[in-house]
Amino acid sequence: MVISAGKQKGTPLNSHLKRLLGNSWIELAIRWIMGLTFIYASYHKIVAPADFAKIIYGYDLFPNALINLIAIAVPFIEFILGLSLILGFYPQSAALIFNGLLFAYTVVLSINLIRGYEFDCGCFAINSGNHATFPAQMLIRNLVFLALGLNVFLFKNSRRLCIRADK
Amino acid sequence: MKTAKEVAILLGISIIIAFTTNYFSPVCIALVGQWDTAQGVVSAKANNVVLLDDLEIGDISFGKKLYDGGDFVFVDARSRKDYEAGHIKGATSLPLGQFDGYIEAFFVQYPAETAIITYCSGRTCEDSHRLAQLLMHFGYTKINILLDGYLGWETEGYPIE
Repeated sequence: MVISAGKQKGTPLNSHLKRLLGNSWIELAIRWIMGLTFIYASYHKIVAPADFAKIIYGYDLFPNALINLIAIAVPFIEFILGLSLILGFYPQSAALIFNGLLFAYTVVLSINLIRGYEFDCGCFAINSGNHATFPAQMLIRNLVFLALGLNVFLFKNSRRLCIRADK
Repeated sequence: MKTAKEVAILLGISIIIAFTTNYFSPVCIALVGQWDTAQGVVSAKANNVVLLDDLEIGDISFGKKLYDGGDFVFVDARSRKDYEAGHIKGATSLPLGQFDGYIEAFFVQYPAETAIITYCSGRTCEDSHRLAQLLMHFGYTKINILLDGYLGWETEGYPIE
């Protein structure tokens, strides 16, 4: 009886949420938010790759030989993914990479959070004053974006304003 | 399989654009940087940053000898906040980030013939090199860079304030 009552209460909410997340306008809005965020995040890294490389060095996780290669490639991956999401060019695959990157960032931040490092994450701005953003705040932000990216990846209905998508 | 192909296309486009742009960019960095502190100051080897290796004082005890000789002015390239938190005793602050605001007063107090040693945090910062470069543009010729910076100096127990 109790389970049945719970189901009866939960069903309208679930179906309402499903309808909301299945709405193609919502999916479009999420894609644009994700896309603009990634383009914004990539900008300062593209104009100052040396500073971004130093931030990667500060993470103390990557082999020396890879630091510059990461600093060169990652900002453009973010930029192209941002464009792909906004223009709807392979949006599902772009969302998959988006989530992969966010997952990698989350792992890297978590490791340094556990280590107790205080550092500049270099996510949205490169701070010359060695300003450290709160790691917990960064992790929550990443988790929110992961949820948004997952919605775009799992979206089954027809997508709006796409130049190249199956649905 | 289709998703893998699309992922490969997106990543391929990104990587091609990234390395092509870096190759032609005025702020390009080398494919491999210098990230070993034992070899000197760490750097991405950017095109627009010249590391003045010839001016470096790698042996901090030699830096202390010059300090004791009293012929050099020690110039702190770090932020004013870091300077106020602790600096080499007698050093002057000339924050790299506020160079334009401070240089005129600095120039009045220390003319171009002054012998200068710049420093920043240590081997993980390039600010002392960048400051030395800017000072050279202002006509200073007697410049050296204390490679181990404030942290190295403090670790050795040399005078700070």
